Amino acid sequence: MDLDIIPSGLAAGSLYALVAVGFNILYRPTNVFNFAQGDLVMLGAMISASAIAAGLPWLAALLAAAALVGVIGLAENFLAVAPIVRRSSASHAWIISTLAYSLIIDNLVGHVWGPDPIRVDPPWPFSVTSFMIGGVRTSSYQLALIALTGLMILGIEQFYRTRAGRAVRAVAEDRDAALLRGIDPDRLSRWSFFLGAGFAAMTGLLASPTMYASTQLGPSLLVKGFEAAAVGGIGNNRGALVAGWILGLAEALGGSVLSPGYQAASTFALLLAILLIQPRGLFGQPEARSV
Amino acid sequence: MSESRSRSGPAPVRRLNPRWLVLAGAVLLVLAFPTLAHGDYRLYLGTQVAIYLLVAMGLNLLSGYAGQPSLCHGALLAVGAYVTAIAMTDHGWSFWPAAAAGMALTAAAGALIALPAFRVSAWYFALITLAFADVVGGMLVEWGGLTHSFAGVVGIPMPELSGHALSPAELFWLVAALDIACFLMIANLIRGRFGRGFAALRDNEAAARASGISMIGLKMFAFVVSAAITGLAGAFYAVQKTVITPDDFTPDTSIFFLVVVVLGGSGRLWGPLIGTLAFFVVPELLTSLQSWRLLIYGVVLLALMLFAPHGLEGAFRAGWRRLVRSGGTTRPAAVTEAVRPTLDDDDQAAGMAVSIAGLVKRFGGVTALDHVTLRIEAGSVHAIVGPNGSGKTTLLNMICGFFRPDEGAIRLDQTDIVGRATARIARLGVGRTFQTPKLLADLSATANVMLGAYAAERASTVEVALWAPRAAREHALLAAKARYFLGFVGLGDRVGEPAGELPHSQQRLAEIARALMGRPRLLLLDEPAAGLSLSEIDRLGALIRSIAGLGVTVVIVEHHLDLVADICRHVTVLDRGRVLAEGTPDSVFRDPAVVSAYMGVRPVAEAQVPA
Repeated sequence: MDLDIIPSGLAAGSLYALVAVGFNILYRPTNVFNFAQGDLVMLGAMISASAIAAGLPWLAALLAAAALVGVIGLAENFLAVAPIVRRSSASHAWIISTLAYSLIIDNLVGHVWGPDPIRVDPPWPFSVTSFMIGGVRTSSYQLALIALTGLMILGIEQFYRTRAGRAVRAVAEDRDAALLRGIDPDRLSRWSFFLGAGFAAMTGLLASPTMYASTQLGPSLLVKGFEAAAVGGIGNNRGALVAGWILGLAEALGGSVLSPGYQAASTFALLLAILLIQPRGLFGQPEARSV
Repeated sequence: MSESRSRSGPAPVRRLNPRWLVLAGAVLLVLAFPTLAHGDYRLYLGTQVAIYLLVAMGLNLLSGYAGQPSLCHGALLAVGAYVTAIAMTDHGWSFWPAAAAGMALTAAAGALIALPAFRVSAWYFALITLAFADVVGGMLVEWGGLTHSFAGVVGIPMPELSGHALSPAELFWLVAALDIACFLMIANLIRGRFGRGFAALRDNEAAARASGISMIGLKMFAFVVSAAITGLAGAFYAVQKTVITPDDFTPDTSIFFLVVVVLGGSGRLWGPLIGTLAFFVVPELLTSLQSWRLLIYGVVLLALMLFAPHGLEGAFRAGWRRLVRSGGTTRPAAVTEAVRPTLDDDDQAAGMAVSIAGLVKRFGGVTALDHVTLRIEAGSVHAIVGPNGSGKTTLLNMICGFFRPDEGAIRLDQTDIVGRATARIARLGVGRTFQTPKLLADLSATANVMLGAYAAERASTVEVALWAPRAAREHALLAAKARYFLGFVGLGDRVGEPAGELPHSQQRLAEIARALMGRPRLLLLDEPAAGLSLSEIDRLGALIRSIAGLGVTVVIVEHHLDLVADICRHVTVLDRGRVLAEGTPDSVFRDPAVVSAYMGVRPVAEAQVPA
C-alpha cells in the first residue's frame, strides 16, 4: 500500500469536514440542511479564483468571495427557506426548495464561467509542489490545510461557548422557548445563512488549489460534506472533523487499492455501514425531546 | 356532486361508478393512440411518455405519499435498463426474464439504500439517495467490462412474444397497460391502510408509532415497491431506445423525475400523469433551451414549492372546489349509524395494570425523572399532576416507549416493556393522545381514526393492491367502526371533514377516537382538557368516564384539577421528577407540600384553575 494516501486523504478529508461544518452552522439554529451548500462552496471558489486571477491578493479575494456568497445565502433564506418554514415548520418542503436554489446557482455559474476548471495557486509561502518527508509524498499546502482545518474547527467550537453561541444552541433545542427568552430566531436564521454561506465560500477557496475551481465542485462536495456531517453526527463539528478525515482516507484507500473509479463507492459503503450501526453518526446526540 | 343517502334508507339503484367510466376512457385512448399518432415519431414519443409515467408513479409513491424525497430514480432507472440490456445482448436472454431480473435487482438496490434510512429523517434519506446516484453513475463507467463504459450497450432487441418481435404499437400498448395496472394498484394501496400509514410516515411519525405502525416495515415497503416499478420502467427504456449509455442517466435525470412529480402534484394520484404530460406538451424545453434546463427546473421547483405545493393537480382541485362552493353545496348528511349511543359488548376491554419502579431519565444534565415508583391499578382512572417541567409527559413517553429509561423498570401487567419499540408497545394495547394533537391534516377525520386500527388490519398487501373482496370488506368495516367511535366522542357530524380543518378541541376528541380504534387496554391522555371551554371539559369528563366504563385503564396528565377531582380516584403528584404525593384527589390536594409546590400558598379548593 502506498503511504502517500495519508496526507492526500487527510487534506481532502479536511475539505469535507469544512463543508460539513458549513452545513452544521446552518443546521443548528434553523434545522434546515442546505442542499445548496455544495454550490455555495463552488460559487465561492469561482468568485475568489476570478478575483485572484484579476490580481487581488488571497486574503482580499477570500473576503470578497465570503461577503458576496454570504449575500447569496441571505437571498436563499429569503427566497427558498423562510417562506416555506413559516408555512409549516414541520414540513420538509425546504429539501426541494433549497435543491431548486442549488440548480439555479449551478446553471448560472456554468453560463458565466464556462465548464473549464480554473487553477488557483495557494497563498505564499505554501505550494502544491510535492516533496518527500519520511518516505511519504506531500506538499506544504496539504499540510497547512490539514492544520488550519483543525484549528478553525476548534475555534468554532469555542464560539459556541460564548453568549451568541449559546443563543444558537438554545434555538436549536427549542425555537419557541428561545423566543420567550428574547432570542429572535428569524434574525438568527438570517445571520446563520449569511455566515454559513460565507464559510462555504472560504471552503471553496481553500479547495481550489488542490481540486481546481469548477462547477464540478458543487455536487461532489455536497455529497462528501453530507457524508462527513452524517458520519460525525449532525451538528457536531469535532465529529465532522474526525469523520471528514476518516472518509478522506477511505476514499484515498479505495482509489489506490481498487481504482480511482471506486472513490465514491468506498465512502458510500462506509457511510452505509456506519449509519447501520450508529444511525446518529459516530458522535451524534443520542436523543432529544421530541414529543 | 351527488347527494349522499342515509345508509338506513332503501338501497339506491346501483349506478355506474364514475371510476369505471374513466378506466374505460383510458383503455380506449390507449387502444386508439397508435392510429391517432400518425407516424412513428409520435408513437415513439407516446411510448416514452408511458415509460416516464411509470417512473413518475413509482417516485410519487415514495416521495409524494411516503414523504421520502428520492434523488436517485434516474440511477434506479439505469439499474433496471442496464441489467435488462446486458442480459439480452451479452447473454442472449429473452426480454421477459431479463426484465424480471432488472426489476429484482433494482428493488434490491432500493432495499439497500433504505437500510440506513430507517431511523433517520427524510432529508437524510434524500442525501443518501444522492450519494447512491453518484456511485451508480461512477460504476456505469468503471465496470466497463460489464457495461461497455461510455460506448454503452447497443443493439438491444425488441421483446419477443411467441416467436415474433413486438411492433412499436404493441410495445406502446404493453407499457400503457402496465401504466394503468400500476395506477390502479397505487390507487388501491393508498385507499387502504398503506395510504394512511404513508401519510403518517410523511407528516407525523410519532402518531404512527403510537398507533402501532412499524415504520421500518412501511418504509422498506415504499422503497422496494417504488424501486421495482422504476426497474420495470428501465427494462422498457432499454428496449425502446435500443442503445443506452451512461449519458442517459445523469444526475439531471433524477432531478427531471422529481420536477415531473412536484409539477403534477406530489402525493396526488393524478399528479404523475399531469406532470409527465405537461413536460411533453412543451417539447421546446427538451431541445432549444437545453443549456438552461437546470435553471428552468430550479425556477419551476422553487415557484411550485412557494406558490403551489400540491402542484397542478392540487391547483386544479382547489380551483374546482372554489367553483363548486360558490355554487352552494350542502355538507354531506351525517351518517346515522355513527351516533349510535349504546356500546357493543365486544368493546369491553380488560384494563391493563402499570407498575413503575425506580424509574430514572436524564436529558443531558437535567434529571427529568428521579426514581419514580408508581402503581396504576387495572381499570382505574389515574391522574398524574404537577407543575410544568415536573416530568409528567416524560413519564407518559417512557410508558409508551418514545424514550428509554436510564434506570428502572416499567411493567404493563406482567410484561417488561423497557427497550421495546413504541409500535410494539402500542400493539400490546396502549393508546395515547398528545399535548398538541398529532392528526394527519389532509386526511378525513374518519381516515385519521382508522389509522388507529392499522396494526389490526388483516388483509394482505396483495389483497389491498387488488382491492380483493376481503380488503374491501375490511375497509368498509373499519370505516364504519371509525365513524362509530367519532360518534362516541361526539364528532358524528364531522366524519368526512379533513382533520386539519377541525377546531383544536375537536382534534383532541378525534385523537381519543383514534386511540380507541386500536382497542386499547391502557389509554394515556396528555392534557386532554388544555384549551377546552368549560362545557367542553364537562363533556370530556363524561367521555372519559364512559371510556373507563369499557374497562380501559386511563392515565391522564392534566392541569385542570377540577376535572381530575371529578373523574379520578387516584392521583399522583410529580414535582421536579419525584413523586411528591399520591392518594385520592381529596387527600392529595389538601396536602400542604402539594399546595405549596403546585400553587403557592392557597389551598387548591379555593384556587382559580387557569384554563
